[in-house]
Amino acid sequence: MQRRTFIQAMAAAGTLGSLPLAANHVLAASDLAAAVSVEQLPPLVGDITLYLGRGEGGLYENVLNAIRKRNPKLNLQVRRGATAALANTLVAEAKAGVRRADLFWAVDSGAIGMVTEAGLAKPLPTDLTSQLNPRFQYPQWAPVTGRIRTIPFNTDRVTAAQIPSSIMALADSDLSIGWAPAYASFQSFLTAMRLLEGDKLTAEWLRGVSKHATSFAGELGVVMAVERGEVDIGFANHYYALRLKSGKADAKVDLAFTNNDAGCLVNASGIVALSDDDLPINFIRYLLTQEVQSYLASEAYEVPLVGGVSPPLGLPSLSQISPPEVDLTQLADLRPTLELMRKVGVL
Amino acid sequence: MTSWPKSYPFALFIALLAVVPVGVLFGLAADSTQLFDIQNLRVLGNTLLLMVLTVIGATLIGVPLALLTAYVQLPWRRVWLIVLAAPLAMPSYIGAFTLYAAFGPGGEITNLLGIPTPAVHGLVGATLIMVLYTYPFVMLTTRASLLGLDGNLVNAARTLGMSLKECLWRIVLPRAATGIAAGGLLVALYTLSDFGTPAIMRLDTFTRIIFVEYNAFGLSQAAMLSLQLLAIVGLVLFLESRISGSREKPGHHLTLWPSRWQSSWILLTVAPIILLALVLPLLIFSLWLLRDGTEGFELSYAWNSTYASLLAALVAVIIAIPVAHAAIAGRMGRIMERITYLGFGVPGIVMGTALVYVGLKLPFIYQTLGLLVMAYVLRFLPLAVGSIRSAAEGLDPSLAQAARVLGSSPREAFQRVTLPLTMRGLVAGAALVFLEAMRELPATLMLGPTGFETLATYLWRVYEAGYFGRAAVPGLLLVLMSGLGLALMLSGERRAEFDIKEDHHS
Repeated sequence: MQRRTFIQAMAAAGTLGSLPLAANHVLAASDLAAAVSVEQLPPLVGDITLYLGRGEGGLYENVLNAIRKRNPKLNLQVRRGATAALANTLVAEAKAGVRRADLFWAVDSGAIGMVTEAGLAKPLPTDLTSQLNPRFQYPQWAPVTGRIRTIPFNTDRVTAAQIPSSIMALADSDLSIGWAPAYASFQSFLTAMRLLEGDKLTAEWLRGVSKHATSFAGELGVVMAVERGEVDIGFANHYYALRLKSGKADAKVDLAFTNNDAGCLVNASGIVALSDDDLPINFIRYLLTQEVQSYLASEAYEVPLVGGVSPPLGLPSLSQISPPEVDLTQLADLRPTLELMRKVGVL
Repeated sequence: MTSWPKSYPFALFIALLAVVPVGVLFGLAADSTQLFDIQNLRVLGNTLLLMVLTVIGATLIGVPLALLTAYVQLPWRRVWLIVLAAPLAMPSYIGAFTLYAAFGPGGEITNLLGIPTPAVHGLVGATLIMVLYTYPFVMLTTRASLLGLDGNLVNAARTLGMSLKECLWRIVLPRAATGIAAGGLLVALYTLSDFGTPAIMRLDTFTRIIFVEYNAFGLSQAAMLSLQLLAIVGLVLFLESRISGSREKPGHHLTLWPSRWQSSWILLTVAPIILLALVLPLLIFSLWLLRDGTEGFELSYAWNSTYASLLAALVAVIIAIPVAHAAIAGRMGRIMERITYLGFGVPGIVMGTALVYVGLKLPFIYQTLGLLVMAYVLRFLPLAVGSIRSAAEGLDPSLAQAARVLGSSPREAFQRVTLPLTMRGLVAGAALVFLEAMRELPATLMLGPTGFETLATYLWRVYEAGYFGRAAVPGLLLVLMSGLGLALMLSGERRAEFDIKEDHHS
């Protein structure tokens, strides 16, 4: 139920988002639970190594560069890789008694689950976690931004009413579907489906959908194919459609949401501190500031998770969405998902 | 034991080092629950299918081009030869990346010209790209064989009334069979170990699935798959060692004079290959450069690539000298040299998996440039050994003996006679290692020090993130490097292969 309140809070913030920017800032500033500003944070000094689970292109890069610029005495080394591969590396390093990373910023909470399960995460101070929306407070990791599973659809070919409100019903529909089975976000979504509906139904669903699905390398590709009308609908994180629309005002794509199932899972990117020191903790504080959160919301169209920052413009009314109850760290259970996908032959 | 050549202990040590990655894989794979399942069968099928189709395709293109470049008198023959061999110097993932972006709905060709084109992906796409970038192996080895043939046999057959076509088919090609087979096996080896192309074409071959497993926390599974891949590689290497070149006594060189329309026809059939393999990637990268500029690119990427590759080239050459020496010195040495060839067959992704774990066992080299250079050296050492050995083998021992007779010490004879004469082989070997290290992708992704971005890894990163436009600068630089590598090859060890005059062939 608490998640419902979060969504309502986001919805309320969403109406603020439509206000002019200046007014918006005033409101945010007067809000008690508002995010801290970088001005209030201590300068970062020293060496720190971040394992970055490959942010979406240049935007996470820009955040890191801004932090570097603001903290000239910070020597930040970044190791990039696929989120899952880095999680794997961290666990292997720990097993071998080697530690190189102070921080792990993952784009998928499943990978975080793996690292915390291995006992590598250092506890975060409560004054840090309490800045986050109550539904996104975890003792050992800090979600940075949220992303919602959506069904982008081509507005010329289908109407929102034609799209079933249950993700499971899509297996039997006659809509043509674009998907990216090899993509981490899709696999997390499928893991959630497994947890909610069981392996058998998930396998049947995969079989059903694969009959009228076209594969793409990533979900940006899915959304682009939907917009071009190559397929009727797709499966993708919410921000791809929003980014596409921001660059192309007349884009023929809109978002639909399913009801209380894996189809509208709210997942999060997040960060873990791996070394006992104030520096990594303070680094995390920077990611939860008003400035970084607003930047990621307005530029990357990700959902901010701290108080007083407006969600991205163009995200449809959130009060109509009912995401499923899934413990995000459980999404680490990826292997059975991959095996299932292989068995069905979609990977 | 005392009669063992001095280079043997070194060579033995290096041969043992070359076995380390395989040993590590066995250790890792021991944890794997399954030896083989249905999924593996599909991957095996894809891998073998891609390999066989690529070998067939490369032979169908490479052999006629070998005949063309060896026998046919075209204007600018040398230029033709260089251009036709150029795809060899390009990493195939450049081709996969650009062809993937150019074709298909929403591809650059459709965007620019409005012409719908079929998408390049899957088995067909991967085969097309692998053929485009591996046919020069067949072309060069076959051409070398053809140049060693006595043209008088053809003339005799012609005099006795055989048509030219039949002559080529029944008199010439059977005698070039070993050259064709050698090229075909090189193609097979390259196809088996390539990671970028199947990954971009989304074809589930061993290399792609190993990467997927590695990313999905399945390291022992990745090691098991690696060993299965290595078994196939071993088979190909074994076949390669069985091929013994037969040499004919040099005779008259065969020359064919095409008519003007024949020349134009040849040009027309060759053009699509060059267009797809060379012109299209350059055009796409240039297009992106114009559209997106140099955004995101940092000069340090180019420097990192160059620096690591230079180190690898240097180390490889130093290590290669005793190995090459041992290979010439005796049978045991020859076996040791063969063992170091293992590295060339170990795909980068497999080498990466193995060395990451070596690093974890020896934390002082973990995530250091040293470990990356070691991966490069282990993989590309055979290139250096090969060129040094062939240079040393071609050496007339009486020259050093003459120097000794004239009073120089063994050391002086080596420094003033032997070394300068093998210098070309050393430089060529270093150049080949440098070039391969520059374009190496998977091991660099896994082993590079933190924050160590190279041209190849940056290209991969922008591909994965979908920021294709940013691939322009690293892509063009990699093509430029490949061009430089080709130039070095032309002036070094491979020079003989590119010579036009028949009396210069090796």
